Amino acid sequence: MKKELLAQVIKSVRILGALALIGAITFFYFRVVSVNSVTVALTFLLAVLVVAARWGLVEALAASIAGMICFNFFFLPPIGTLTIADPQNWVALFALVATALIASHLSASARREALESTRRQHEMERLYTLSRNLLLLDSRGPLAQQITNQVAQVFELPGVAFFDRTSDRIHRAGPHDIPVEDSRLRDAALQGTVFHDPAAHTTVMPISLGGQPIGSLGIEGTRVSETALHAIANLTAITLERAHAQDVATRAEAARQSEELKSTMLDALAHEFKTPLTPIKAAVTSMLSDGSSSPTHQELLRIVVEETDRLNTMLTEAIQMSRIEAGQLQLHKSPQAMSGLLRTQLEKLAEGLEGRKVNVEVPEDVPHVSADPELIGTVIWQLLNNALQYTPPGSPLTIRAHAEQTAVVVSLEDCGPGIPEPEQQQVFEKFYRGKEHRQRIPGTGMGLTIAQEIVRAHQGRIWVESQPGKGAKFSFSLPYAAKEMAP
Amino acid sequence: MTSARILVVDDEPQIRRVMRTTLVARGYMVSDARSGEEALEKIREERFDLVLLDMNMPGIGGMETCRTMRSRSDIPIVILSIRNTEKDKVDALDAGADDYVTKPFSTPELLARIRAALRRAPLSTPGLPEVLELGRTAIDFATRRVTVDGKEVRLTPKEFDLLRYLASSPDVPIPHAKLLQSVWGPDYGQEVEYLRVFINQLRKKIEPEPSRPEYLLTEPWVGYRFRLPKKPQ
Repeated sequence: MKKELLAQVIKSVRILGALALIGAITFFYFRVVSVNSVTVALTFLLAVLVVAARWGLVEALAASIAGMICFNFFFLPPIGTLTIADPQNWVALFALVATALIASHLSASARREALESTRRQHEMERLYTLSRNLLLLDSRGPLAQQITNQVAQVFELPGVAFFDRTSDRIHRAGPHDIPVEDSRLRDAALQGTVFHDPAAHTTVMPISLGGQPIGSLGIEGTRVSETALHAIANLTAITLERAHAQDVATRAEAARQSEELKSTMLDALAHEFKTPLTPIKAAVTSMLSDGSSSPTHQELLRIVVEETDRLNTMLTEAIQMSRIEAGQLQLHKSPQAMSGLLRTQLEKLAEGLEGRKVNVEVPEDVPHVSADPELIGTVIWQLLNNALQYTPPGSPLTIRAHAEQTAVVVSLEDCGPGIPEPEQQQVFEKFYRGKEHRQRIPGTGMGLTIAQEIVRAHQGRIWVESQPGKGAKFSFSLPYAAKEMAP
Repeated sequence: MTSARILVVDDEPQIRRVMRTTLVARGYMVSDARSGEEALEKIREERFDLVLLDMNMPGIGGMETCRTMRSRSDIPIVILSIRNTEKDKVDALDAGADDYVTKPFSTPELLARIRAALRRAPLSTPGLPEVLELGRTAIDFATRRVTVDGKEVRLTPKEFDLLRYLASSPDVPIPHAKLLQSVWGPDYGQEVEYLRVFINQLRKKIEPEPSRPEYLLTEPWVGYRFRLPKKPQ
C-alpha cells in the first residue's frame, strides 16, 4: 500500500512539475522575450515531448492541455480570451496533443522493453545461479527439499512447493505457505498439465524427464516468466535424474563390493581348508609309497588319500563357484583343437576309468574352437567325472565331436542308468543331485552348474539327452575360432 | 645323488614337518625356512641343491622370493602352491621357477618332481660341437656357458638343457611332449605352458630380436624347432 501511495505522490509531483514547466515557458515568452506565436508553439511542443519521454502519458497530457490553454489565452489573437479566431490554430493545438500521445506512447514502450530486458537478464542470472547451486547441492542431504529451498531463495519467491513423485512427498519452502493443495500438485504431475491461479498468483507446472512425469513444481508470485518456469522445471528434472543416476551407481558399487567381499571370503575360507589337506595328503602318500605297511594299512591309507582328494575337489569347486557367482570368470580365449583338450582331460582321469573303454570319435577336420583351454578342460573333466561316477565300471563311454554351422558340438555318451525326463533340466541347477543316487554317490551338486556357466560364458550351450535305462548323452557347443592361429 | 641338500620354505609348520620327515627318509638333507626373508638369508650362507618354495607366505611372499633367488643364482626352484590356474603357473615360471606343484600333492609326485629338477642332462651329447656359434651368441656345451658379444649370459640348468636338447636335433620340429619328457622327465608331457615360458626366456637371452626369433622357432600345434643358420661359404 505504501508503495502505491508513494507512486501517486510522485505522479502528482510530476504533473505539477509539467504544469510548472508550461507556466515558466508562458511567463518567459509573455513577459521577458516577445516572439512570434510559431516559436511559442514549438517551445510548447518541445516541452511536451520532453515530459512525454521522461515521465509518461498522464504528465504529457496535462502539459499539452495546459500548453494549449496558455497558447490560446496568451499568444493567439484575440489575446486574453479562450476563443480561437484562426482555424490554423486548431492545427497547432492538435499537434500539441498528438505529440504528447505519440511521444509518451513511444517512450513508454521503450521503457517497458528496457524494463523487460532487464527483468529477463535478472531471470537469466537467477537461472544461472540456480543451476550452479543445484550442481553444488549436498548429495548426502534430502535433495528434493534442498531444490525447493534453492528455487525459493534464488528467485526470492514468497512460496514454493515441490512434489517428488519417486518419494511421493511434498516439500515446501519460502516465507509463506503457498496456497496450493497437495492434490493439485499431484494432479499436475500425473496429468502433465500447467495450472494457473491468477487470483492467488500461483502456477503449478509438471516436471518430466524423457516423457516420464517425475513431479511438479508450484510457485507463488508473478515475477517469474513462463520461460523461466520451464527452465526451472528442467533444471529440477536434470538435478533429480543426476542424483538418481549417482544413487544407482553407488548402490551398484556397494552390491559389487559386497559380492566381491563374499567371494573373497569364500575363496579365503576354501584356501584355509586346503592348507591342512596338504600335510595330510603328503604324510599319507608318503606312508603308502614307502611300502612298509601291511595290506590292511595300505587299504586304510588309500581311503584317507581318496577322501582327502574328495575334500580337495569339493573345495576347488566351491572356489570356482564363488568366482563364477562374483562374475570373476575371466576368459583367456585362444583357438584350441578339441582333440587336444579331450586328450589332456582323459589322461588326467586315466586312473579313474577303472577299465572302461573310451571311444573318441573326433574327425581330423573339426575346426578349432575359441576357448579358454583351462576352463573348457574343467567342463570336459566335469562331464567325464560325472559319467564315471554314475555308470558301472566296465561300461563304455563314447566321445564325439562334429562341426555345425557356427559351432563345434562335443558329446559324451554313456551306457549308465540314464536320467529320468523331469530331472534332465534340474541336473544343471546348483546343488541338485540325482534323486536315486544322492545317498550313494559322492558329490557337491556344483560340477554341472560350473560346466554350464563356463560354456555359457563362451557363448555356447550345454544340454543332456537321455532315455532311462539306455544311458545319457551330455553335449555342449563352442563357437569356432574366428581365425586359425597357432597358440 | 640322494644326498642333495633341499631347502623347504613354507610358513605352515605342519608342512615343514611332513616334508622334513619324508625327505630325510628318502636320503635328502633338509633345512627349512619360515619365510622368504629367512630363505634368502639361508641361501646366502649355505649351499643348497634345490628349493621347495611356498607361494603364499606373509612378508615378501613366494613370487618375490623366487625372483630374488633367481637373480642371484641358478639353483633349481620348485614352487608349491594351492593356486592351480595356468596364470599362476606361468607367473611363477616367469619369475624363474623350474617347476610348479599344486597343493595338496602326493609324496611320490613331489619326489618325481624333485628328481626331475635335480637331474642334469649328460654333458656330452653326440652330434654337438663343443662350442656352437650363432652370430653374436656362443654356446659352450662343455662348460654350460653362454655368451653374447663375449659377455656371459646366465641360463638356469633347465633353460640350458632345453637349449641343448633343441640344438642337438637342428632343423627338426620336436613335439611338446617329447621336449618335456626329455628335459624334465618321464612324468611330464602336458605342461605346454612350461615350454612357452622357458622358450621365451631363452629367446630373451640368446636371440638378437626376441620377438622375431631366428634360432628358436615355434612349430604351430606341434612344438619347437632349432634352426641352425647356414654357414657362409
